[in-house]
Amino acid sequence: MIDAPSSRRLDHRLPERFMPTINYDLCRVCRRCVNECSYQALEFKESRVVPSGGCVACGRCIAVCPANCIEVRPVPPQFAPHGNWSERSRRSILAQASSGGVLLSSCGADDTHPPIFDDLLLDAAQVTNPSIDPLREPVETITYLGRRPGRLEVCDGKVIVQEDDTPLIRMDMPLMFGHISLGSISYNAQKALFMAANELRIVAGSGEGGLHPDFYQYADRICSEVASGRFGIKPEYLKGVAAVEIKIGQGAKPGHGGHLPGEKVTTMISETRMIPRGTDALSPYPHHDIYSIEDLAQLVSVLKESTEYRLPVGVKIAAVHNVGAIASGLVRAGADFLTVDGFKGGTGAAPRVIRDHAGLPVEVAIAAVDRRLTQEGLRNRVTVCAGGGVRSSADMIKALALGADVVMVSTSAMIAMGCRVCQQCHRGLCSWGIATQRDDLTSRLDPQVAAARIVRLYRAWNEELKEVMGAMGIDSVESLVGNRDRLRYRGPNPKIAEVMNVKHIGEGWG
Amino acid sequence: MKYVCRPKGHAHDCDCGKDSMSVVGDRAVIDLSLSATQPMHYTTLNCAMRKAMRQGCLSIELKGVMGQRYLASTASVPGLHVAVHGTPGNDLGAFLNGPTIEVFGNAQDMTGNTMNSGRIIVHGNAWDVTGLAARGGQILVKGDTGYRVGIHMKEFGESRPTTVIGGTAKDYLGEYMAGGTILVLGLGGGPPVGRSLGAGMHGGRIFVRGEVSPEQLGPGAALLPLNEDDEREVRRLLGDFIKAFGTEVHQDMNGYVKIAPSSSRPFSGYYDKTNV
Amino acid sequence: MIHRKDRRDRTDRLGAPVRAENYIASSPPGWQGQLGGCGIASLISLKGERIGGERITRMLTIMEERENGLGAGYACYGLFPDRSDQYCLQFFFDDEEGKRNVEDFLQGRLDIMHDEVVFIKERSTISPPYPIVWRYFVDVPENRVWRGDRDLGEEDYLVEIVQHINANVPNAFCVSSGKDMAVFKGNGYSYEIADLYDLDRYSGTMWLSHSRFPTNSPAWWAGAHPLSLLDWGVCHNGEITSYGVNRKLVEMNGYRCTVLTDTEVVTYLWDLLVRRNRLPIEVAAFVMAPSTYQEICLLPPAERRLAEWLRITYKEAFLNGPFSIIVGRSRPETTLIALADRKKLRPMIAGLSPDDGVAYCASEESAIRIVEPDARTWAPGAGNPFIAVAGKGVLRRGTEPSFQGVRV
Ligand code: SF4
Ligand code: SF4
Repeated sequence: MIDAPSSRRLDHRLPERFMPTINYDLCRVCRRCVNECSYQALEFKESRVVPSGGCVACGRCIAVCPANCIEVRPVPPQFAPHGNWSERSRRSILAQASSGGVLLSSCGADDTHPPIFDDLLLDAAQVTNPSIDPLREPVETITYLGRRPGRLEVCDGKVIVQEDDTPLIRMDMPLMFGHISLGSISYNAQKALFMAANELRIVAGSGEGGLHPDFYQYADRICSEVASGRFGIKPEYLKGVAAVEIKIGQGAKPGHGGHLPGEKVTTMISETRMIPRGTDALSPYPHHDIYSIEDLAQLVSVLKESTEYRLPVGVKIAAVHNVGAIASGLVRAGADFLTVDGFKGGTGAAPRVIRDHAGLPVEVAIAAVDRRLTQEGLRNRVTVCAGGGVRSSADMIKALALGADVVMVSTSAMIAMGCRVCQQCHRGLCSWGIATQRDDLTSRLDPQVAAARIVRLYRAWNEELKEVMGAMGIDSVESLVGNRDRLRYRGPNPKIAEVMNVKHIGEGWG
Repeated sequence: MKYVCRPKGHAHDCDCGKDSMSVVGDRAVIDLSLSATQPMHYTTLNCAMRKAMRQGCLSIELKGVMGQRYLASTASVPGLHVAVHGTPGNDLGAFLNGPTIEVFGNAQDMTGNTMNSGRIIVHGNAWDVTGLAARGGQILVKGDTGYRVGIHMKEFGESRPTTVIGGTAKDYLGEYMAGGTILVLGLGGGPPVGRSLGAGMHGGRIFVRGEVSPEQLGPGAALLPLNEDDEREVRRLLGDFIKAFGTEVHQDMNGYVKIAPSSSRPFSGYYDKTNV
Repeated sequence: MIHRKDRRDRTDRLGAPVRAENYIASSPPGWQGQLGGCGIASLISLKGERIGGERITRMLTIMEERENGLGAGYACYGLFPDRSDQYCLQFFFDDEEGKRNVEDFLQGRLDIMHDEVVFIKERSTISPPYPIVWRYFVDVPENRVWRGDRDLGEEDYLVEIVQHINANVPNAFCVSSGKDMAVFKGNGYSYEIADLYDLDRYSGTMWLSHSRFPTNSPAWWAGAHPLSLLDWGVCHNGEITSYGVNRKLVEMNGYRCTVLTDTEVVTYLWDLLVRRNRLPIEVAAFVMAPSTYQEICLLPPAERRLAEWLRITYKEAFLNGPFSIIVGRSRPETTLIALADRKKLRPMIAGLSPDDGVAYCASEESAIRIVEPDARTWAPGAGNPFIAVAGKGVLRRGTEPSFQGVRV
């Protein structure tokens, strides 16, 4: 091993990224910020609070300061400007030259791939059809999740409904919470999500870390995840919930397994996951009982047998380049619903190189899946859920119009609880008590308060959805799903519009 | 609650097992050769088995099984004994939760997938991915097993899965292992285990009777001698094996090696968490 | 012989040049469909008697304010009593070549029992070019193969043939293909089209009609209403805001959209839901204009379950946005269906003659009064179908509860 003697080593310390700046004229020296900063980026020294390095801009101090006198400022570029060698590229190289490690991060891809959502414009009704006022006339957002029969049989003029064959979950809005595991987030944070899902009458993913016994009270709003690590999978986890979903991939890290750093494996996590305390909880990259599509069919079938065909069984995949064909394979393998997770989707820990460079934007993936399933005559047999980088009700509406029946959200729910997207989840120090297992930090999050904030957020989004549908002259959400005619593309690359089967702005209808 | 046979679209009480199942007291026999449709579909067979369980049967004997999958998946009746004659299909006893399944023949792939508790006894061979992600219970295989056996087994407290392989196991035995015990006896000759043994294991233990060279180990696995606790456990598992199959095995502990995680965080130094 | 190059600049009745281009069978280049408002009118003899074309013409033309001279059309049912068992394929041809193309294609695929020119006045207020309008009475041969499939039913086979012609055979368009019916339509005002075809010479048990107010030119003869496939004829007023979704469903079921209007998709939906999926008409109407989930909650349990499952299963068949449609078919019985959207955003009035002999449906009451001054009229409800059958009477007034008469 080549290494220099320690006397000749230079510590290539990286410049700070953020600087908490205190207005000492206003500071009351209450030291609350010092106590609240889980990254220890502030210290009390010589009768005042000073930055001590390592600020990640989690914003906790700003929120707790009673004098409103802290600002967290991004540190301006510290290296000589260069058009190609960005500050980040040089920081990464320096860090890896020191550590030799794989760069780890969290949250969704933060590189500057412009979201295609921002290049789409919505249609509205003018003259040839009337818009609808959602406050005064019904505009429906009820959505069902699961397999659909495609057609109903008719016998002697009598329509036969075989309800038992096709389990479906009814939701009040076309929205579901993505899978965020207990472990990656705290007990309180997960509880808030389940409480909110229950109140909103939608479905929340369990994540792959199993279900805490306390959470079975929300079971009929929970979709259990069966991931390659098979954590927490016991009969109640399969039978007692609303739906079961096999996780093949995650948008933030397609082709990669789960990784829960040992810092976050506390006794509680060790118990729900059945792994040694303090160990890194790893999920294998593939499912070792799925090496091919017929093996997936086998896992779908065994879950259906195990749940006695009472629950919808879905499959979640990361959006990858061949997503259309894969989706059609999933339907043929028996999936009742599929979830497509776009490349901007969040994560609690993922190698940067995968998070920022692998996968397919969800906008394109939705359109590709919707189109392929339509071509194959399968689109009216399944529910398509999609998410990964949905930041607003506008994104949600565009995702629906592109062809998703249900939009999956996670990061926005976390932000509603307090997350500031500081991208430190993998360190387990979340100052907001969300992505951490440290008791002093998790106790900062009151599940009741957090749940109420989540509920308010998505109620508002749903109202905004109704407003837009009303403006389009659509009074029920199923008539928006896949209605790409009501979208126009105004971005830099018309080829994207073409592959998404969306017309360019300026192209009319006739 | 009305039980229906959903996969076949029957919206009424179904006929599954009508022609092939007989129940006397708490013993059910399902003879697949009597079924009108040959070979019987797994949905029919599983549906019939569930009926027998609901009727309170504590013994179900299956005759003439030929590749039917998912038998007794998620079965949770305590004390239930399922005897399988023939060749059960993949995912035998998946998510099993208490009962004992005994196979008189060879089992296919993914036997005991994610089983929770109970026992699966195979009087023959069991092929690839046996005991995947087991959370408890015991799998005993008299003969050989295939590749990737015991991947990601786990344990917590009382729940501690064990797998005993009378013959040999192939590569990737105990990959990602987080708990539980695998014992390989190598009876009948041949190298007892293959390559990449215990790759990435961070919990649990593997005991092998016979030679294991360091080159066979996967990353994160270490080769160790047995301590007293280990020896006790091996003896206990040998006892289970002998009781199940009636074969004699040498109880001499010198011929065994132990494979255990080299660290509980095998890849902790692998990542760089710098906020770049 | 008609050639495109004969076309001259024309003006419409107001003296403004509205029709830069006039297309007949071939679609205008870059055609992407057309929006528009409309007037619709229909009548059916409940006793199965024959009614002359002048009556429907009067009904439609009284609503002249609803049109702008860019398309009108009529469909007549019970039109060919002597050949009622043969399919009548009625075509627009741009020229003789289009006719040859179609005849070459039909050769060996359908048995042509008889063919004839459809009368068109040589001089009309509509400026030329006029299409060649031709009809073929055909039988579907016993041993038929379409793309290797030998098991296609007679009607599915015919659907494939017609759709193939409309998508692929140049200079020709099949405007109707049902038994005992035909469509007469074109580019002009309602009375001009009636005059062009001299509708007075025809009579039938049921008539549908439509006049349109598209927002733009060009005008395409084949794109005018009624749109028809097999014996389905559909006249439609309004704009379907869910077009993209509905189109996906019909395309998934093998229909090819060539006219690119919502009416075309509505036509295919009726064929899919009622002929192929065999849903009762009331049920298909519910699928297209369903009750809200809130209303569904109030239904008795069995109906509620049916309603929910209809919405779930056929959610892509839900016609959202404002519409009123008149639909006709000749098989198994000559039937008139009228349906408005679930919020009743487009007009629809039904009427019955004093002797209960004739039933009417139209956009405006005036259309009924002009031919039946003493009619009893009523307004069918939102999303509630009116159904009348020749020889049987009005089976449903459109005021009954959702599933009345449906076995659940
Ligand atoms: S929280 Fe605000 S007032 Fe208190 S010490 Fe920090 S900066 Fe000063
Ligand atoms: S959850 Fe916490 S650590 Fe993760 S990004 Fe949000 S604020 Fe930062």
